Amino acid sequence: MTINLNGLGIDYGAILPELIVTGTAIVVLFLDLIVPAERRRWLAAVSVVGLLAALVATIPLWGQNRAAFGDTVVADSLAAFFNVLLIVISILTVLVSPRFLRALDLDHGEYYILLLGATAGMMLLAAATSLMTIFLGIELLSISLYVLSGFARTALRSQESAMKYLLLGGFATGFLLYGMALIYGATGSTTLQGIAAFTTASGLGASSNVLLLLGIGFLSVGLAFKASAAPFHMWTPDVYEGAPTLVTTFMSVATKSAAFAAIGRVFIATFPSIASRWYFPLALIAIFSLFIGNLVAITQDNLKRMLAYSGIAHAGYILLGILPGTAEGFSATLFYIAGYAVMNFGAFAVVTVLGSGGERTAELSYWRGLFYRRPFLATVMTIFMLSLAGIPPTVGFFAKLFIFRALVDAQIWAPLIVAVIMTIVSFYYYLRVVVVMLAAPEETTVERERVGISTGTVLGAAAAATIILGIFPAVVLNWATHAASLHF
Amino acid sequence: MGWYALPTTVPWLTLAVVIPLSGALLVALTPTVARRVIKQLGILASAITLLLVLVIVGGFQHGVGNLHLQFEEARQWVPTVGISYHVGVDGLSLFLLGLNALLFLIAILVTSPATPRLKQFILLLLILEAATAGILLSLDLILFYVFWEAMLVPLYFLIGVWGEGPRVYAAFKFLIYTVIGSFAMLVAILAVAAINFAQTGQLSFDWTVLVQHPASGVWQLPLNLGAIGIPQLLFLGFALAFAIKMPLFPLHTWLPAAYTASPIPVVIVLAGLVSKLGAYGFLRFNLALFPDAAHSLGPALAVLATTGILYGAFMALVQTDLKRLVAYASMSHLGFIGLGIFAGNLLGIEGALVQMVNHGVIIAALFLIVAMIERRTGTRDRAQLRGLGARAPLFAALFLVISLAALGLPGLNGFVGEFLIMLGAWTAFVPLAVAAGIGVILAAWYVLRFYQGSFQEAPPQPAGFIEMRVADVGVLAPLLALMIVIGVSPAFFPAAVEATVKALPVLLR
Repeated sequence: MTINLNGLGIDYGAILPELIVTGTAIVVLFLDLIVPAERRRWLAAVSVVGLLAALVATIPLWGQNRAAFGDTVVADSLAAFFNVLLIVISILTVLVSPRFLRALDLDHGEYYILLLGATAGMMLLAAATSLMTIFLGIELLSISLYVLSGFARTALRSQESAMKYLLLGGFATGFLLYGMALIYGATGSTTLQGIAAFTTASGLGASSNVLLLLGIGFLSVGLAFKASAAPFHMWTPDVYEGAPTLVTTFMSVATKSAAFAAIGRVFIATFPSIASRWYFPLALIAIFSLFIGNLVAITQDNLKRMLAYSGIAHAGYILLGILPGTAEGFSATLFYIAGYAVMNFGAFAVVTVLGSGGERTAELSYWRGLFYRRPFLATVMTIFMLSLAGIPPTVGFFAKLFIFRALVDAQIWAPLIVAVIMTIVSFYYYLRVVVVMLAAPEETTVERERVGISTGTVLGAAAAATIILGIFPAVVLNWATHAASLHF
Repeated sequence: MGWYALPTTVPWLTLAVVIPLSGALLVALTPTVARRVIKQLGILASAITLLLVLVIVGGFQHGVGNLHLQFEEARQWVPTVGISYHVGVDGLSLFLLGLNALLFLIAILVTSPATPRLKQFILLLLILEAATAGILLSLDLILFYVFWEAMLVPLYFLIGVWGEGPRVYAAFKFLIYTVIGSFAMLVAILAVAAINFAQTGQLSFDWTVLVQHPASGVWQLPLNLGAIGIPQLLFLGFALAFAIKMPLFPLHTWLPAAYTASPIPVVIVLAGLVSKLGAYGFLRFNLALFPDAAHSLGPALAVLATTGILYGAFMALVQTDLKRLVAYASMSHLGFIGLGIFAGNLLGIEGALVQMVNHGVIIAALFLIVAMIERRTGTRDRAQLRGLGARAPLFAALFLVISLAALGLPGLNGFVGEFLIMLGAWTAFVPLAVAAGIGVILAAWYVLRFYQGSFQEAPPQPAGFIEMRVADVGVLAPLLALMIVIGVSPAFFPAAVEATVKALPVLLR
């Protein structure tokens, strides 16, 4: 890692994408004051333009290794990988938003500002190489999301969801911060580079340094909370269910991705020398997530809750890729995150589109015979469900395959067997949705609604990506391999 | 058959997968109300596929090519993990490919135009045809697995949506059984590649690579529980998937539910073809990749296969529902195929390959007969059917030919395969051959009782039993023709597959 000797290492180029997103948020904030209420679509347009600019600004960062601001952030391929992922998710969310917001009478400009703020926080988290910037990123994304989950101000459920998220999230942040303080106390450094140097230098001493291990433990709790891995998942179903579906869509994929970026940097890049210490707790978290996510998802009749538990399960699969501590495992993790983002975004987006009809629509019973009422929605939902279950030829299959392969190569058998058995279990609840959609409709009145152009495009693109990545996974896998290899 | 040489520039085998898929795409784009067009598109796509496959069969040369594989196409797919798109055809897959194309054409032909949601039905059948063709052609283990899993989804919906009786239960049971087997196989596939990488340094899932370096080694069980050979462990991983699909006793319990619930076009494919894919998997992977394990575990599996012969036969004897009767008959016959495979000698394996084609032809014909009877009389209950032959002599005659083929009368195709298998089994395990012989006798019993009970005994009870129509005869004609052709020229198949079978590693050890 090159140390920028130019004063404090100020290098705005390295965080240009984050700056652009933040700048866009501020622009939208002011535009909101000028733009008349019936033209709020413009805010969405401006947000998309800003995000696209950030996407372009990310391209030159690929393949670089620019540490900046006194080693607190880095512009490398891993950060660029997550920037692209997070920005694309954000753009897709914005594109679906105007119609949904109008339908629920939530069309306020703050929505876009908060969304952009959360995106900036996540991007910062993915680029953070210091405990300080990790905390900064987490707080930025969390506070934006606390507000967003309570965005349906008049709905009691949304209020409850925001309150739960805030309280539990604050609690988790406490853990995180305490962990960071302990790690700083043990190693005398806040930058990951400094911490890594300390643990490597102290050799075997580091693996019996109680202060350090306790710190890592607390840090893991905070990060696992954000990734909604069991047993720190309790908030997930309630918040996902109560928050406006669109916010849930964004939250379920983006927050998880960003959290895993940080988990990767912390565990694989910073603490490889004490891997034997974190392996077991992390494996336990993964196994817990697989069990709880998959088993509880079976009993859910509400699709938002079902997808929340499925998200917990997927956090388990993603964590499995961290366990081997190898570049191969981490690239499988990155591929899984990208694939999960596409398919889970799609699944939640379908719930969102149906959700414009009211809250009842997330109940599985409402989905009976959807194939005959809304054939397009039902078809893309089928694709997303098959992909989440991991059936080829979809991206979900290769995501699981690469993770399993990394585990076999590292000879990690027990978590692998749990993952395989739980995958079989997951077939039940994913395919149940498809079967329900195929069942004969109860009511004879067929109300056929059209999906809006932008929404239809987003859903079609997500479904197409799910299948195309399932047939040609090599390109994204190469990117993931490149992004993952920088650590080693 | 080496009658002509095909240009190598054409991706013949890829076309066998792509044509049904293109048909599916065209069907998807057709308006739902255009039911005639949809069915005709389905017939067209599967007929073109059949023609293509016949062209491939005609251009196949005996004993030529690397590992006797021909029409190979190999491209990189996910190079960083050693996955490739590699397809090819040899003696093991050639005739099953033909059976595949034929049975799907018949299945689509007999699909009633009044089927609800006809568009989705034909669409799924065509996707299924592409997947099963892919299974037979894949030479990369991951590619094979992709097609193997892809086959599951259309089948699940075909049973669960268009089935009869407890269809969702049947579809779900089928799904769970199959998925458990599949994942065991997936782990075994990953382990085979990992072991090969450790032993040779070559990262590959390619069958042609793996077959040359059989895995070896011993795995020490934890807690001093002893040791188990790694090839044996991997063999079992693959075997679970194939034994469930076949199905081998005692993993057959999904079968009666699924076969009975399936609509006729689906059951033709399921019994006629999909079950054989399990047997094919045993030959292609278990016997080729783990020859030592095949020797040590073969006898146990042969016992299971023989148990299946007798169990299926006895169950067929006590059924009153004709569809269930044929379902158990199918299971019994698959036991013979299993016995031939696990006998592990040239005669047994050749017999099994021949019998796979025969079984597909015979079982498809039997299920068609059951469907025709049910359509005419409205019942499948054996007890309610009497004297149908008096009203429909042609029907009776054709049914008699099929019955005789099913019970293995010399001169018809069933005999050829069963005889070879019995010879193979006799050299390997005499007691099992004797037990299988009892199965042959039982087969004669239940098949003839079915035929005599429903067609011969007077008085003719259900009035107005209609004679076979031209369309019915047309559907049965290719199957009947195959029964007679294979029956009278029994050397045809064994000669064609001999080179491939002789090269199987299990025979070289």
